[in-house]
Amino acid sequence: MSTPRPTPLSSYLIVYAVLIILATMSLGYSLLHLPGGLVVSLVVASVKAMAVLWIFMHLREQRISSALAMLLAVLWIALLGGIMVTDVVTRRTFPERPRPTGEDGFYQR
Amino acid sequence: MPKPLLGEQYSDLEQQDGALQFGMWVFLGSELLLFSALFALYASYRSMYPADFEQAIRHNTLVYGTANLYLLLTSSLCAALAVWAMRRGRPRLTLGLLATTIVMGLGFLVIKGAEYLVHIREGALPGRYYHWHELPSFGANRFYSLYWVMTGLHALHVTAGLCVLGWLSLRVMKGAYSVEHHAGLEMGTLYWHLVDIVWIFLWPLLYLS
Repeated sequence: MSTPRPTPLSSYLIVYAVLIILATMSLGYSLLHLPGGLVVSLVVASVKAMAVLWIFMHLREQRISSALAMLLAVLWIALLGGIMVTDVVTRRTFPERPRPTGEDGFYQR
Repeated sequence: MPKPLLGEQYSDLEQQDGALQFGMWVFLGSELLLFSALFALYASYRSMYPADFEQAIRHNTLVYGTANLYLLLTSSLCAALAVWAMRRGRPRLTLGLLATTIVMGLGFLVIKGAEYLVHIREGALPGRYYHWHELPSFGANRFYSLYWVMTGLHALHVTAGLCVLGWLSLRVMKGAYSVEHHAGLEMGTLYWHLVDIVWIFLWPLLYLS
């Protein structure tokens, strides 16, 4: 297997600049209260995380097995989160009951 | 320059470094899964109380959270450059960059502490200790309970990361790493980058509306 060239200094600095720009854009988008803020900020966060993984953490230089460990973790997270949220969103009680409001004794002060 | 020890189960140092790296990546994946349970809980409660969550986020301490994001991103760059410097045979520069990373990590904890004080004064505490009169909703209570657990677990990881960075600095001072063999340094900094990645996701969930 051929080892890729070690990451040059310029790559680190470019990735850092991109991370700062993306963070500032995400902040601006949130402060303007534009629609779909949560989705946009999570997509931007995923791009930032991939940049950190690929360049700062040298995943580009690693064997495929290391990338596979990370990929599997992400898949498990998607599966766990997806199934759990689907359950919460679609669960119905018969007869229908409202969401807990804290006044049922579960949360009192 | 001391040569790293070769375990008897490995045929050469390259194979040993590869195995260590793979083990580290599996460990990082398991750490992400630990946080993912809390992310899933967050997603569930947010889908149950969307309006309360948005209101709680709008009242959260954005300045502190954002300052900490920029701080962690910069510290992550320093940690990556520490490995870069070692690869070029400049251990003194590596040591300086590791020290800078540690200072930034401590700065993160100081800002986090100041932020916690604000929440304690407001009464935005977890569970039944919550008594913030400005946001009396049950959803806001859920939000701040999650906020404390998620940022608390993250702060524990920052503290562990700082210990790892301190240990790496000692090893660099002792001349334990060289241009060819610095797998320990590489893996220690990987842990710091993981701390950074977790905050990259916590920031939009806890501070951005």
